[in-house]
This record gives sequence, C-alpha cells and structure tokens, in this order.
Amino acid sequence: MAAASAAQSRKTETYTDTKRRDDVRGVNIAAARAVADAVRTSLGPRGMDKMISSGDQAQEVIITNDGATILSRMSLLQPAARMLAELSRSQDAAAGDGTTTVVVLAGSLLRRAQTLLSAGAHPTAAADSLHRLATRAVEILHSMAIPIELSDRDSLVKSASTALNSKVVSQYSSLLSPLAVDAALSVVDPAHPEILDLRDIRVMKKLGGTVDDTELIHGLIFDKKASHSAGGPTRIENAKIAVIQFQVSPPKTDIEQSVIVSDYAQMDRILREERNYILGMVKKIKASGCNVLLIQKSILRDAVTDLSLHYLAKAKILVVKDVERDEIEFITKTLNCLPIANIEHFRQDKLGHAGLVEEVSVGDTKIVKITGIKDMGRTATMLVRGSNQLVIDEAERSLHDALCVIRCLVNKRFLIAGGGAPEIEMSMQLAAWAKELQGMESYCIKEFAEALQVIPYTLAENAGLNPITIVTELRNRHAKGEKNAGINVRKGQITNILEENVVQPLLVSTSAITLACECVRMILKIDDIVTVR
Amino acid sequence: MASFIGAMAIADLVKTTLGPKGMDKILQSTGRGRNVTVTNDGATILKSLHIDNPAAKVLVDISKVQDDEVGDGTTSVVVLAGELLREAEKLVNMKIHPMTIIAGFRMAAECAHNALLLKAMDNKEDSDKFRSDLMNIAMTTLSSKILSQDKEYFADLAVDAVLRLKGSTNMESIQILKKPGGSLKDSFLDEGFILDKKIGLGQPKRIENAKILVANTAMDTDKVKIYGARVRVDSMAKVAEIEAAEKQKMREKVQKIIGHGINCFINRQLIYNFPEELFADAGILAIEHADFEGIERLGLVTGGDIASTFDNPESVKLGHCKVIEEIMIGEDRLIHFSGVQMGQACTIVLRGASEHVLDEAERSLHDALCVLSQTVNDTRVLHGGGWPEMVMAKEVDELARKTPGKKSHAIEAFSRALQAIPTIIADNAGLDSADLISQLRAEHHKEQSTAGIDVISGGVGDMKELGISESFKVKQAVLLSATEAAEMILRVDEIVTCAPRRREDMM
Repeated sequence: MAAASAAQSRKTETYTDTKRRDDVRGVNIAAARAVADAVRTSLGPRGMDKMISSGDQAQEVIITNDGATILSRMSLLQPAARMLAELSRSQDAAAGDGTTTVVVLAGSLLRRAQTLLSAGAHPTAAADSLHRLATRAVEILHSMAIPIELSDRDSLVKSASTALNSKVVSQYSSLLSPLAVDAALSVVDPAHPEILDLRDIRVMKKLGGTVDDTELIHGLIFDKKASHSAGGPTRIENAKIAVIQFQVSPPKTDIEQSVIVSDYAQMDRILREERNYILGMVKKIKASGCNVLLIQKSILRDAVTDLSLHYLAKAKILVVKDVERDEIEFITKTLNCLPIANIEHFRQDKLGHAGLVEEVSVGDTKIVKITGIKDMGRTATMLVRGSNQLVIDEAERSLHDALCVIRCLVNKRFLIAGGGAPEIEMSMQLAAWAKELQGMESYCIKEFAEALQVIPYTLAENAGLNPITIVTELRNRHAKGEKNAGINVRKGQITNILEENVVQPLLVSTSAITLACECVRMILKIDDIVTVR
Repeated sequence: MASFIGAMAIADLVKTTLGPKGMDKILQSTGRGRNVTVTNDGATILKSLHIDNPAAKVLVDISKVQDDEVGDGTTSVVVLAGELLREAEKLVNMKIHPMTIIAGFRMAAECAHNALLLKAMDNKEDSDKFRSDLMNIAMTTLSSKILSQDKEYFADLAVDAVLRLKGSTNMESIQILKKPGGSLKDSFLDEGFILDKKIGLGQPKRIENAKILVANTAMDTDKVKIYGARVRVDSMAKVAEIEAAEKQKMREKVQKIIGHGINCFINRQLIYNFPEELFADAGILAIEHADFEGIERLGLVTGGDIASTFDNPESVKLGHCKVIEEIMIGEDRLIHFSGVQMGQACTIVLRGASEHVLDEAERSLHDALCVLSQTVNDTRVLHGGGWPEMVMAKEVDELARKTPGKKSHAIEAFSRALQAIPTIIADNAGLDSADLISQLRAEHHKEQSTAGIDVISGGVGDMKELGISESFKVKQAVLLSATEAAEMILRVDEIVTCAPRRREDMM
C-alpha cells in the first residue's frame, strides 16, 4: 500500500502554474512576511517596544509591546498582510496572549512555504501537510503539559508574570500578577468553574501615582465625583443603594409641551409647583430608607437639577449622576440589586446594601468607592494608576493579557514551559515524525518543523544573545531528553525553564500553532486577487 | 468576436477554483474599508465582479440562477459554458455557420441529457442507502471548500439538518449562526432556535412551556404622530399630570400585553427601562431589539404571529415552545428556544478562528444544504469526479459518428467541452491531465464503468468505491443552462452600444 501510494503521489507533487499566479502568491507571502518581520523584534521578555503615532490630526502616540495592538493600528492595504493582522486579533480573542508569537510563527511558516513552492510542491499538498502538522503539534504540546488546579495560586501567579514580563510594566509583574489572579478567581462562579467572563472584571484607569499604586477593589468604583454642589454628603456608612433609571427633575412629557405664563402670580405658582413636585419625589426616595442614589444618564432631559440636588442633599442622600446605561447591568450585578425605572416602584427590596460609600481623592480627581457590599455579585474592579497616560494604557493592556492568561488556565487547566522550550520540542519531534512519512508530505513537514524554531531564535536574538549558538545548544539539550530546557533570558543561557518559573497556559501555545497554520493554509490556497466593487 | 472573449475570460477566472484541489481567490473591495473576502465559491466571486462585457454578464447571470435553483455547481456551469464557447470559436473560424453549431449543440445536449437520465441511480426506497448517498454528496460538495478537513463532521451536520426538513426546501428554518472563537470542529447542530440577544434585567432566565408573543411595536411612548402637535398648559402640575398620563398609557399597554397570558415577550424595537421593569415585575421574559430577520424566523418557528396591536387577545396567535433558556456559546450569552412548534427548525452554530473562516464556512455549508435539500426531493444521484462528463462525452461521441453533415463537428466539439471539466480538475490538482483523460476515456469504453479522477491519490479511481457522488439535479442544471447560455452568446454577431439620447446635431 505504502509503495503504491508513493508511486501515485509522485504525480500529485508536480505543480505547473502560470507565471502570474506564482506572482500573486509570491506577493502575498512577501507582504505577510513583511508584517511578521515588523513585529518580530517585540517578542519575548527582552523584546523592544514600538511607538505608534497615528497619522491624523490628533497625532496620538502609543507605546506598546502587544502584537495585537501594533497590528491593529498599522494601516495595511495588502489583503494578505491584513489577514495576518486579523490572525493576531483571532489569537487575542481566543487566548488573549501570544499575539506576537502567532504572527512571527506564521511569517516563518510562510517563508518555508515559499521555498517549498519554488521547489515545485503543489500548494494544496503543502497546505494539507500543514494541517496534519498542526494536529500532531497539538498532541505533542499536550504530552508536555502539566495539569494544575485553580487552587494552586502560585502557579497561576507564575504564568501571569510570564505574560507580564515582556511588557513595559515588567518590573511591576510581582505586584500586578497576584492582583490579576485574585481578580480573576473572585469572579469564577463555582457553578460554572470552566467559564471566566472577563466582562465581569472592570479595569479603571486613573492618572497619577505610579503603577505600584494599582489596586484591586472589592466593591465598586465610579470614575466621577459625587454630586455635592449643594453640600450633600460624601461619605455614608451602612449605605442603602438605589440604581434609578428615572430622573429627579421637573416633569417633561414626550409630547411637545409649553407652559403658558400670563402674569406674575402664575410664575410664582409654577416655581412653587416645581419645588413641590421634586420634594415629593425626594420624600418618596427618603421614605424607602435609601441613602445613596445612582442615576442613569438621560439624553432626554437633565437627570438632576440644582434644585433636586439641594433637596437630596438635605435628605442626606449621596448622589452619583450620569451612570451609563450599559454599565447598569454590571452595577446591579455587583450590588445585587434591581434597577428602578419609575418612582412608583421605589421599594425597599430593590435596594442594594453596602458597608461604606465614600468619595475619595485619587490624584487630583475624585472617585466614588463602594465597599463592603452585602451579597456582592461575582465581579471585580481594578484601579490602574500610572505616572502618564502612555504607561497607564500599556499597563491596562498588559493587565488584560495577564487576565486572559488566567482565563485560558480556567478553560483548560494545563501549564506548559515557556522560553522557547515547547517550540524546540515540537520542532524536533515533528522532524523525527517527518522521517516516517513518505513523499512530498515528509518533505513539507520537515521544512515546516524547522520553521517552528523561529521562536527560540528570535527570543535569543532579541535578548542580544547569539541565536545560532543558543538554538543549537537548545536542540542538543532537548535531544538528550531535557524536555523543559529553554532560554533563560536573564542569565543568558539554557536552563530548565520550569525551575525559573517561566510558564504559560497550554491554550496559548495550542491556539497559536493551530491559528498560524490555518492562516498560512489560507494564504497558500489563494491564487488570485480580484478587485470587486 | 468580442462576446466570446469576454465570456471565456470569466470562465478562465473561476476555472482554478474547480475541484477539491481548486484554489481560492481574494476579493478585494475598492469601496470604503477595502474589505477582504477569501472564497472558493464561484457564485460569490462572480457576483462581486465588476463586469463591462455583456456576454460575460450572461455567464454571471447563469451562475446566479444556478445558485438560486440548486445552490451548487456555480463554477461548473460557467466553466462548461466557457469551454463550449471556446470550441464554438474554433468552429466559427473554420467557417461553420453559428446556426449549424447551435443545432449540433442542441442535439448533443439532448443526447447527453438522456445519457445522464439513463445512468442516474435512485436509492429512494432504501433509507439507509439514501442517507449514505446524501453523506457522499455532502462530502463531495464540501471537499472543494474550506471545510474539507472536517468534511465528514460537517456532512453529517448538514444531512441531519436537511433530513429534519422532511422534504421542504425552505432554508428559512435552518438558521446558521456564526460565532468567532474555538475551531471549526466545535460547530454543532442544535434543535430549536437561538437568538443572539440578551434577556432584560431582573427577569427570569429560564421559562418552561413558554407562551411567546412576538411583536413589532414601539415600547417607548405612543407619540401623537401629528406633525407639530403640542399641548399648552399653564402650570407645572399639569405637565406632571401629562407625564403621569403617558406613563399610565404605557402601563396600560403593558397590561394589555400581559393580558394575552404570555410569559415571554419579544419585541423588534427597543423596550425602555420603564416597561422593562413592569415586565420584570410580572415575571415575564422580555427581549428587546431583536432584528427583523430574527423576529420573522422566530414567528415562523414558534408558530406565532407578529403582533403590533394588542386590543383583541383572541385574534393574536401566540407562539409556543417548551423551554427558553440562556446558554453560553464561547464567551457570549444567547437565548435558546427549544421544543418549538415547527419541528423542522434547527440551528447550526458555526465556530471558527476568524471572520474570514466563518464567512467562507457559511457559504460552503449553505451550498451543501441547498444540494442536499434538492436531492431529498429528487433522489437521483450520480457519481462525481468527472464521471458524468465522461459518460456524456462518450454518448455524444457516438452520436457525432452517426450524424452526417457539418453538425457532427459541433457535436464532437460538445464532447470535447464536456471532457474539459475533468481536465481542469486534474490540472488544478497538478496532475498530468492529458495522460489521465486518455486513461479515463479508455476505462469508460468498457460498459458500466465507474471510473473518475481520484485527486487524492492522483490517478483514475473507482468513484463508487471512493463514495464520490453528485446530485443529479445539479448536473442536469449545469448541462442545460450552460448549453443555453452558450447558445445565446453564439447567436450574437455584434454588440451594439445603445445611444443614450438622440441629439439633433449629431445625426
């Protein structure tokens, strides 16, 4: 059987094509590789950052190390190059981390693919072997993986710090990673232990202080000050909180209306009526025992007026206004209360309870903080601080990566060594496997297996080490059976990477390799670019 | 002739996408955003092309018709028409009158059609065998698409979905939902209906034996829809009264809706905070802002009417389903309706790495579903892999030998055009087509041969053993519409550009 298929497959493996189609494929590959090369230098703990300046009037500047961010900001026109940018976005969605890795990997695979094509391999033959390679590589990764428990906080912190180590904020990784782990673990619902919804974690940015001051808040914060122009309270203990979706202001109908005032006495009466109307509302609110009011922003009319604020202040009710409608769900979930849409429905059972609501100064602005919430929902809020906007933004992105890493671990509870160890191991095992195969497939897989070495190579290069020495030594160590030998960038040598606590979730590696392979297969199968309407 | 050239250029463009080893195309839009689509689907490519040549437009039209009628074979039909024209051009250069060519083509097409009818297999009686036929057809259709790596999985999915339809070709009740994330293998078939919306705040997340009212009504306020209507009042209290009256009106409306005895209310328009709270208090699940397609489909599958007035609860037909609950797919929360009244309804949830993959997967799956639903109605099947073309070519050749006169040239040419399809499949796979086609022809000279091109091993293989099947209806449509289109273009001897407007001084 094997001999027969070998004889037949010889025929499949010649590919003659017109010159123009080769050109299209060549152009696609070249463009995609150019993109990969652009982000290559940002890989790894010693990777460099990119400064991105937007071309428009605003001249906005971003400094980042995050592959997905860099690629999403690049203005790419070539369709294949855009596919690579989308690849990193997919990785961002699937795993959240490894967005640079996936692009670098795809670039390297494409380079090998080009060699294969020029050697006369049929693109679909290359694409099919790439698919087999991906399946096999995932198996190899699984065999290397170390299972973990969510209760093992140490391991979680370790993998979060690996993700943070390559970022601008790496010096704070010892601080940020436990924070990320705690935040993530606090929102995992015991009923659904395999799901971690990152929307339940809010990250709030505040300028001022340093990244050191970043904190996890067990409760809720609002990025606005309490409305106390009329001298209302700024600190309430034993708070009873109401989230309202109506307005405490003079009535306004949906149908157009106008009040006709014909003489002075009437004017006086109208003012009095307005006062009574608002007073009535405030009294109703007060009657329910509520002392903190969160008011949804309204586009139709003012949520509160000076007058109503005055009465609310007199009633010793703390008011936070202009809460966005899409935040309501998060707030009600956290406070374990129900939103109130009409004054008639203002009942005590719809209120949320908290130990303390207070306005605190952070930097030069003030925020409202709610802590000690009774029956708090499974949400978490993080307050990120930094000395300038660029640092804060990058800290937020890094924190997002760290949270994603933990989400991956919640989904798939396996860890894998970092530092280029899995890539070298895959490359060696796949190369050995290629020798068992026959025909073009064997040749393709051998080439692609070598392509995986780009990750340790780039890691070493970015760290200023001699890449060839490092990669050959790494291969040597792996050949001796040291599965977890990897590049220790800090020491500049090969060590057992597990002992250095450089670990990452299995999902990041598996999704990087499958997504990169899928994208490369897609690019290989394209033979023409058609311009359409 | 300019009309030939345009049509052949179109055929050549899509030629490379034919067959399991066909290539994809990038469609780059020149509009805003420069959207990129990667596809292998002939109809999609042709639909988006910018075409000037009138003859080329005819080909685009037949691929569109093929797509609407049978859903698959959109590339084949264009390629066959292109090849017919290529052959016709040679004949015209040999000074054969186009009308003679057309007459020959007609005879050939009829003969080929008869050959197909004769060779078609029908397994309608044997349900197990029929299912395996369907599986084979689905796998053959999918093997040229992005889903080829997981074709068995998706073929199974598509066959299950189509068999649920019980013979109707109404694709409306199969909903395809795309959710980025996961891999293609995570896609699944779900009975019932899935709506990509959120349940309102504080409302039940699960309802059994749901009575559903599907509506399209404004749930903010019933504004007086007269231009410039306004009320004049002379005191604040009265404004407050009007506001209260408006609220009361809303409350009455909600009461009326609740009066239908429902426990689920789905509205196409927004539901504001106030009615949302009222519904929550009544323990009714309210879903706002469901898109129009979702509403119509929901009305269809749950068997309810779409209501917009609520005065007579008796006349409104409510929808029913066993369970409504919130489910998680990947990261997103969706609402799942199971046990719906229309039993055929089902949802295919596609998962995939990126939007490109998902879009292409949807197109591929749509093709497979169309072909399958056609096959359920017309249960005749044929082998694939160039087998039908070779069978037809053989019969047409016989006819050519029997026919006297110039027509026989045209009939011969028809047979050559038919053979071009297996040739292209082989060429796309990088095989030596000249060698393979002659082998195939020799095989077909024997009676009852089932030989076709086996692209995977790169030789001539037994299509029956390999399980490569195609729907009879698709092949028939390809043959007939390609011939018709070629005939039409052939009749044209000149393209006349119409003058936009007659002007005095020009004449």
